[in-house]
Amino acid sequence: MAFEDLLEDPVIQKYLHELVGPTGMPVAAAPPDGEVTDEELAEELGLELNDVRRALFILYENDLASYRRVRDEDSGWLTYLWTFEYDNIPENLEEELYRLLDGLERRRDYERDHQFYLCEVDSIRFEFEEAMEFGFECPECGSPLESMENSRLLDAVEERIVELREELGVERERRAEA
Amino acid sequence: MSASETERNLSEIQQEGLELIRESGGIHQSDFWKELDVSSRKGSRITDALLEAELIEREETVYNGHNTYFLMPTAKDLDFSLLMAGDMLSPFIGEEEVDPNSDSFTQWLMNLAYEE
Repeated sequence: MAFEDLLEDPVIQKYLHELVGPTGMPVAAAPPDGEVTDEELAEELGLELNDVRRALFILYENDLASYRRVRDEDSGWLTYLWTFEYDNIPENLEEELYRLLDGLERRRDYERDHQFYLCEVDSIRFEFEEAMEFGFECPECGSPLESMENSRLLDAVEERIVELREELGVERERRAEA
Repeated sequence: MSASETERNLSEIQQEGLELIRESGGIHQSDFWKELDVSSRKGSRITDALLEAELIEREETVYNGHNTYFLMPTAKDLDFSLLMAGDMLSPFIGEEEVDPNSDSFTQWLMNLAYEE
């Protein structure tokens, strides 16, 4: 098996699981050295050929696998020879760190700029304007909407933003660049 | 050869240099050799070896009016656990768009605020 170093990381395992799902995971978790066909993988892992192909295609879409096609001279059939490109995992996850930072910064602004009201029975949160429209009563159950603190959420968001900026070497507010 | 093996084969000063780049998160070449307390020539030889081993990356830049390089750790040294909130992975993975108000991101934030 190749890429053992990377696959030891639980975050990377989780990432692959997120992409290919539980049925594809045997394929994603055990990348062979060198080239392999979908049939070889299916046989080796005891999986349905369709599940193997689906997993390989998802990996391909995420730059984590590539293939080359070879025509069998006797039968004329095309064979796909797959190579796992897991060297790209760190760069993909780096991109995800940037996307998460972007999401957190936008959400922080939203949380900071709005006041929220909560229906404690249904656990539904409303913005101030919505709550006012409903006369501060839950449209589902009619119980009163209570003003809701979001400082704990904001603190957690702010803390993760700082950690991400530091890790990525991003000093400026990304929004300031736009 | 695996990444950890490559690192074990570095000389002591190369390891120190790598450590410096990782800890700073990125440093200009002109500061790098000064901080390591070696000559600029020796500094370039060290960074050449680290680049060759793909343990660092560099970008051309202008710093204090001089052309120099900015040296950075490679992506594989990043702390990917920052994508996690509790046992939940960033919900933007596998999504085309980053939607900061999606339900799945709210769930991730609740994990972050109340479970960590």
